[in-house]
Amino acid sequence: MSTNKQKFLNRYHVIFLVQSAMVGTGILTLPQKLSSVGYSQTLFPILFGVIASLTLLPMIWMNSKYPNENLFRINEILLGKWLGKGVNLFIVLQFLVFSSGIISSYMHLIQSTALPEQTITAPAFFFILLLVYIVRGGIRSVARFCIMTFFITIPMLYFLLWAIEKGEMSHFLPFFNYNGKEFYDAMKKGYLSILGYELIMFYFPNIIDQKKAYKHALIGIWISIVLCLITTAVSVMYFSEWQLKYVEFSVLNLFKAGEFSFIERIDIIGMTLWVFLILSTVTAYLWCAKRGMDSLLSKERKNYIYILALIVFLIIKMPFSQEFQEKLFSASSYVGYVILVWPIFLAIVHLLRKKQVQT
Amino acid sequence: MKFKLVRTTKVDQLIKKPNNTKNQAEQTIETLKKNTRNIDDVLFKKIPTDEGIVTVIYSSSLVEKMTLQSMVFIPLANHINQIHQVAEVIDPSDLKDVTAKLDSGQTLLYFHQTNTILTIDTYSAPTRAITSTMTESTVIGPQDAFSESLETNISLVRRRIQNPKLKNEDQTIGTEANIRISIMYMDDTVNKESLDTLKKRINKIDYPSFTDISVLKQLIEDNPLSPFPQYYMSVRPDSISRYLIDGRIVIFMDNSQAAVVCPTSFFEMFISVEDYYNRWTTASLLRMLRFFGFFLTIMITPMYISALTFHPEILPYELLLNLQESRSKVPFPPLFEVLFIELIIEVLREAGSRMPAKVGQTIGIVGGIVIGTAAVEAGLISNILVVLVATSALLSFLPPIFLMSNTSRFIRYFFILSAGLFGLFGQMLAFAWLITHLEGLKSLGTPYLAPFIPRKASDLLDSIIRFPTALLKSKTGISKSQKK
Repeated sequence: MSTNKQKFLNRYHVIFLVQSAMVGTGILTLPQKLSSVGYSQTLFPILFGVIASLTLLPMIWMNSKYPNENLFRINEILLGKWLGKGVNLFIVLQFLVFSSGIISSYMHLIQSTALPEQTITAPAFFFILLLVYIVRGGIRSVARFCIMTFFITIPMLYFLLWAIEKGEMSHFLPFFNYNGKEFYDAMKKGYLSILGYELIMFYFPNIIDQKKAYKHALIGIWISIVLCLITTAVSVMYFSEWQLKYVEFSVLNLFKAGEFSFIERIDIIGMTLWVFLILSTVTAYLWCAKRGMDSLLSKERKNYIYILALIVFLIIKMPFSQEFQEKLFSASSYVGYVILVWPIFLAIVHLLRKKQVQT
Repeated sequence: MKFKLVRTTKVDQLIKKPNNTKNQAEQTIETLKKNTRNIDDVLFKKIPTDEGIVTVIYSSSLVEKMTLQSMVFIPLANHINQIHQVAEVIDPSDLKDVTAKLDSGQTLLYFHQTNTILTIDTYSAPTRAITSTMTESTVIGPQDAFSESLETNISLVRRRIQNPKLKNEDQTIGTEANIRISIMYMDDTVNKESLDTLKKRINKIDYPSFTDISVLKQLIEDNPLSPFPQYYMSVRPDSISRYLIDGRIVIFMDNSQAAVVCPTSFFEMFISVEDYYNRWTTASLLRMLRFFGFFLTIMITPMYISALTFHPEILPYELLLNLQESRSKVPFPPLFEVLFIELIIEVLREAGSRMPAKVGQTIGIVGGIVIGTAAVEAGLISNILVVLVATSALLSFLPPIFLMSNTSRFIRYFFILSAGLFGLFGQMLAFAWLITHLEGLKSLGTPYLAPFIPRKASDLLDSIIRFPTALLKSKTGISKSQKK
């Protein structure tokens, strides 16, 4: 493959790929996840943003050492063929389970509110069909979908207007009313909501302007952070501390505050429109998993996507208890943290091996 | 029976029998007659002239008598030198090729004494006069439209762009029918890469005949399976000239009224050339109406299904009451109710367009008023749905390109079915599919969703809002033109 043909993601693609992969189901439940710190959660997204910007650094640094390889290849180069492939297999599985978790939780949400008389099988099936359709177009198709998603879903901010009007500004203060344990708990659960920017390690070789990739990814991250900040701020204004803790999908309840003379429940429109955000997140993960499959089998085939989609569907429909499923999905979310620090480990290996080669 | 058989074989023998006594000239005539056997509009006329006997051969259906008289017969009788000035000498040995010339409306002159064949271009097949367009009419602006003659169409464009840089390359396509097409472009602005791609695609075509340019269009589109038209089609010379100046490529075809413009974008399907004649405020308003009308027409009736089948709680109490009251007698679920009335509208539309014009109007009234009101009164459909369906049917006719309004009608069924399956969620899935499909489409290699991709800031001046004319000088991003 020639380098020209491989590089086709411009800066807008990068910005919105990073941004859309971060905003998924996470933001729906963010205020609840942060509820251990109560009303002081307002500024947490900013803290997350800082951490994300810092953890992005080793990723970009690692990728810039191998400008034409994605993380799967880098693993193989640095860790050797077999260890590398083992790690890659693990990452692919992790992505599959992680995306299944996102889809599953969204489907259950849809089922419980919008389609109470159906099981999730048929909606999930059609959702996955659409997923395959988007991913088949390659990362550029995914990126374009992300851009469109952003512009289609951003008008939803308007629905928050009523919640702001009815909200109470004084809830914001004090900013730092929590102890260490509460802080740790909020960090552990809340940071999951903004996972997704780490995928840049997989499509980095396709970026045209790799030198500015860090800057563009940062813009993407901070757009998402601002959205999270708006979410937490409005939730803090609108809800009581008790509600924050026990209302699971707080964003939807914010929408419920809205009143039009011709539409009663804005939250249903908002929730169904949310499918764009879910699609944009999951397509990015699935595309990366497909690249992983390519590198595992050392062949590039378009058909792998069908196999992956089937696996995702089976994971969603697995015949285990609800508790087991939830455990699995939350475990895979925490494994997501490992991928964040993985490039730091790789960087150390890289430096060590470089010394070996030099001496 | 037997007697007849014998007789025919005798006649056959007589024809096939080589006649050695005939001289060379008569032999040539004989071969020509044999080649044009059973083509009864080819006429042979022997005329004595100063240079001996000349046989004039022409196809009476392609050559007008007046043309023949002034270009051939009068000069033959009086000034035979004139003939030699305008005629072209061809090789008499290949007589197969000679008959092909007759088919393109040329007249052959066979000089018996010298055994030479001359041809004169006398093609003067009957053509329609230039009339105003019935399909893309506008209130303001020029009213002339293309006709079915290639020459007329090209002349209508050349009159508007008097520039030597305007090129047109002729070509013959269709493996059996031999149809002439002409590719027109501005030499200094057109994107040469796109032009090459287009020519390659046209040369690759293996198709027997083309009865309209829309057949060719479907064969050279980027994604033939998509419901969306990927090239612009118009019968208006002013619209075509605008696109030529912008650096697009235009294809004309003989016997076809419309011309095809490529590349084009999804958004351009909602632009009427009248927008540039109206004041910018009016034009912007109309454009917004057409563009959002497209999304409304595919969303209105599915919304009705979703709201009534899956999410009645989405509607305020009074509105829901109103709706339920109006369909209290309706026995069908909303999905079938909508499909039923949408199909009736389709039937009305199709019947109206197939029927003779005078009957068509009556049928429209019968269908619209009688079926509409009667169906509501009979309790088959709710009257609110009639309003919604009628609105969405009208909205579907807003795009100036008829192919686009057909597309919107087709896609609506897709949305109706998804809404019937999963309500609003299904609609959003369908919408996501639509977006993905549109962003994957290409028109001659350039993205269909321009001006979103590829982005060019100046394109936004001529998008949903048409800015004042003085600002619209630069070429659009989609034409990828050489000039800025």
